[in-house]
Amino acid sequence: MPGAITLWLLLVWYGATSAVSWLFLLAGWMVALIAAAAAYALWNRAGLRLDMQVRASTPGPDSPAAELPEQLLRTAPARTLFEGDGAEVEVGLETSGAGRGPAWVAGRIGDEEVTLATGLVPRKGWRSTHAVPSLRRGVLGATGWTIGSSDPLGFFQGKRRCPDSEVALVLPRFASLARQRLVRELETAVTSPRAGSGNELFGIREYRPGDSLRRIHWRSSARRGELVVREYEPPGVQTVGIVLDPSPPNVEVADQIARIAASEAWDCLRDGGRVEIWAPGFEPTDSPRDLWGLLEWLARYPDCPPGPAAIDMSTAVAITADPQLLELGAVRRWLVGDAEVEGEIEFERVGTAWPL
Amino acid sequence: MRRLRLPASPIEQSVEARAFVFSAFAVAALAIVLYGVDYVVPIVGVVASAAGHVVSYRERNLRRGFWRQALLAALIFGALFYVIADSSLALFGGTLPQANFAILLVAITSFDLKTRRNCYSSLWISLAIVYLAAVYAWDYEFAILLALWLLYLVGFWIASHLRRIDAGVRVPARAMALMLGAALVGGMVLFVVLPQPAGAPISPVVISLPNFTSFKGDMESAALPLVQLTGDSTGATTSVDLHFRGRLGTAPVMYVRTGAPAYWRGLVFDVYRNGVWTASDHFYRQTEPYVPPRLLPQPPGHNLGTFVQTFHVLRPLPGVIYAAYPLQSLYAPVAALREDAYGTFHTPDQLRPGVTYSAVSYIPDLSPQSLRADENEAVFEDPNGANLDYGSLSQPARALAADVVTGTTNEFDTVLALTRYLQRRYTYTLDLSPVPSRRDPVDWFLFDVKRGYCEQFATAEALMLRSLNIPARLVTGYSTGDYDPILNQAVVRERDAHAWVEVWFPNHGWVPVDPTPGVSALAATRFPSHWAAGGVAHLIPHLTVSAPAAALGSLGAFGVIPAGIAIAAILVVAYAWLRRRMRLPRRKAEPGESELLRLYARVQRKMRRRRAPPETPLEYEEAMRSLLLKELTQAVNEGAYAGRWPAPERVREMARGVLAKSSRRL
Repeated sequence: MPGAITLWLLLVWYGATSAVSWLFLLAGWMVALIAAAAAYALWNRAGLRLDMQVRASTPGPDSPAAELPEQLLRTAPARTLFEGDGAEVEVGLETSGAGRGPAWVAGRIGDEEVTLATGLVPRKGWRSTHAVPSLRRGVLGATGWTIGSSDPLGFFQGKRRCPDSEVALVLPRFASLARQRLVRELETAVTSPRAGSGNELFGIREYRPGDSLRRIHWRSSARRGELVVREYEPPGVQTVGIVLDPSPPNVEVADQIARIAASEAWDCLRDGGRVEIWAPGFEPTDSPRDLWGLLEWLARYPDCPPGPAAIDMSTAVAITADPQLLELGAVRRWLVGDAEVEGEIEFERVGTAWPL
Repeated sequence: MRRLRLPASPIEQSVEARAFVFSAFAVAALAIVLYGVDYVVPIVGVVASAAGHVVSYRERNLRRGFWRQALLAALIFGALFYVIADSSLALFGGTLPQANFAILLVAITSFDLKTRRNCYSSLWISLAIVYLAAVYAWDYEFAILLALWLLYLVGFWIASHLRRIDAGVRVPARAMALMLGAALVGGMVLFVVLPQPAGAPISPVVISLPNFTSFKGDMESAALPLVQLTGDSTGATTSVDLHFRGRLGTAPVMYVRTGAPAYWRGLVFDVYRNGVWTASDHFYRQTEPYVPPRLLPQPPGHNLGTFVQTFHVLRPLPGVIYAAYPLQSLYAPVAALREDAYGTFHTPDQLRPGVTYSAVSYIPDLSPQSLRADENEAVFEDPNGANLDYGSLSQPARALAADVVTGTTNEFDTVLALTRYLQRRYTYTLDLSPVPSRRDPVDWFLFDVKRGYCEQFATAEALMLRSLNIPARLVTGYSTGDYDPILNQAVVRERDAHAWVEVWFPNHGWVPVDPTPGVSALAATRFPSHWAAGGVAHLIPHLTVSAPAAALGSLGAFGVIPAGIAIAAILVVAYAWLRRRMRLPRRKAEPGESELLRLYARVQRKMRRRRAPPETPLEYEEAMRSLLLKELTQAVNEGAYAGRWPAPERVREMARGVLAKSSRRL
């Protein structure tokens, strides 16, 4: 732009001092070009919208997705992502009416700065894929995004801020911890209920080795093409409360707490139980049998909605980096990190490495 | 000490940007070929530049070799030597040496386009080349080259912008075309409508270094267009004889690019004897080819500023600098100039075709009010008395002069009364028999034939004014010519050779007055305002229906370009339309496919209603309720949707069946 104005001034000055009228024609074209470019830039700016979504994902090593039964995955929200997975985020621009351009977008996906540009945004929109090789637990946010646009010559450039948005929610990784529990006596407190126990029918699930053949629901099995068993409300301990440290010292510890909580929840749900997850000062989860709801709560942990409610600690599992939380009356306790624990409290200490 | 390094530029990586830079340069070189009539260097330059771009692009990421840099530096010095040698000694013909130097500079530096500065500098040098060509461009076709250059500049800007934001070189074609079209049309409207300011240049407009022909002794020269029987060494006439008048053609003698239409003043004569005007003062002052303001007389007390003129000589002219006087500065590509006693500048030799010189002149304030207020108080200093000597003017002529100006109270009204009398009572003609022998040409004009040409009007006016004690003298030169207020240029032809009068006003000096009928009495001073294109109103009558055709016709050989563009546009639109209409996959038809579809089309014609595009063959068959379609529809459906086209023999059978059925129906 300054170059064009300088050129225009130069042409007018030379035209005025040399009487070579052609220079005035060139100067006139330059002014008209600047004006047309300004009009173009306004038009271009008005019709562009940012669009962002996860286009594809690749499971990372030890991704729970590989372990989860098909039936459960079918109920998963669209494009379920676990930490450690890779994802392809599609950043695009939509145009209203005719093709526009040039335009560029810049912002952050998660922690990564992304800048993409195109000369042409066709009528059907323009898309570019940005790969995130390894996702972190939590909200994969699109923050600080701006749409830049200009006239084709770049004289008039403008930027428009877009509101921050969530591209995806990355769930914590988890794995069954039942086989790794060393403190056997704790198992008696939280008895693993089996399908077939109890009296109250509350659903069906896939057949697992060990299930009674009498519990097979043949009609559903025929319909689904796989063996399905009736699931009964187990007698005894049906609900496991998981209490989390409300203020973990760092992200790594928070991730580990979320992973252990997810694993505990998975173990419980798999055995037909119910799970309630809570952290002091926060609203507890409200879908005790919905794995995905629990995982979403854990994905946001510790940025959960605050609330005064509390849970019954008599059947709770405590997972914390704060030793004080271990003193609550939990049936099983996990301590993440190296904090000193005073007194005779039984707990299991873990680091931040995963799998445990 | 850190070495100064220019920042790497992404523009250098862009093939498209380079292509636009090269194209802009090629257009500039083409302009020099067409308008500078200079061929060798532009062509060599374009070819070398193309090769240079290829080399520098291929090796853009390599380290610069010392020897290549040294060679390029040597070549630049070679180009510098060329421009000096060609300018001063005309070693290579002396044609546009500065343009050729610029072309060579671009060609050489294109081998080493490693920084954006060089890419841009190529563009700006090409703009300078375009400017040099523009100085010599006198027709509207030049606008095509200018538009092309601008488009390449725009292309470069686009490629450079897209490269900077790291995007591919693709833009929305329709919106882009609309923007460019609007800019081109808008720019032309601005060019026509907006006034064009005029300013004083700080340097000569055109710098053609002088040839070194100096003033020599007197010699005979060939006759030249003006009325002249004798001439000096340069061909400039030394006298004007009213007994003779040459025939003047319509051939252009020079183009004048000027901020204002004016009379192009040449020689001045102050002695009249027996029908012949001569100059009384033969004093000369020699000057350098560039005459700056400090070497010229002080500007007139009442002046409205200055304006620039560039003269391009088309036919051999006397060695006289024709220009609007009084001059503020002057540049002519000669070894030296000579100023005569009347303020006219002379060149050592004839002005050859192709010579271009430039002048800056004052615009004196010669309004009637200003002149009327100019009281004749000062004494006119005329050492030899030539400017008041009415010579052989007869008594009846003097009496007529006195009679005409009766009642006037000031010099201007006196001059105006006499001028208007001559303009109204006498007829201008070029078809005049020779003045009879022994008859005074002025008396013959005033009392016998009462018709004459410019010299006779001017002579009569000058002598009659002298008889009234008003100093006056004869001036020859050219009238404005065909002035184009848009391009600020005039085509001066042989027939525009003219003579008029200069009258002395004490506070204004010599004021040009033209007694020739058909022009304003102060026509010679009819300068427009600073806004040279304020005369845009002159253009409006030309904007008629026939104007586009006339404009096309005036393009001459270039006329094929708009026509070609129009034809190409029609072809492109037709192709796009056909493409859109017939969006058929370009595959080879299956055997029997085209035969079946032809048969299907024939039957549709027979049905007198063609199948509508959204209608399926089945719907069409149901709608038409015709037996002719039954088998055919099935075959078409199978072919179109299942890819099972019938064999050609089968199609022929179907055709026979259809024929039989239709004949039965008939």
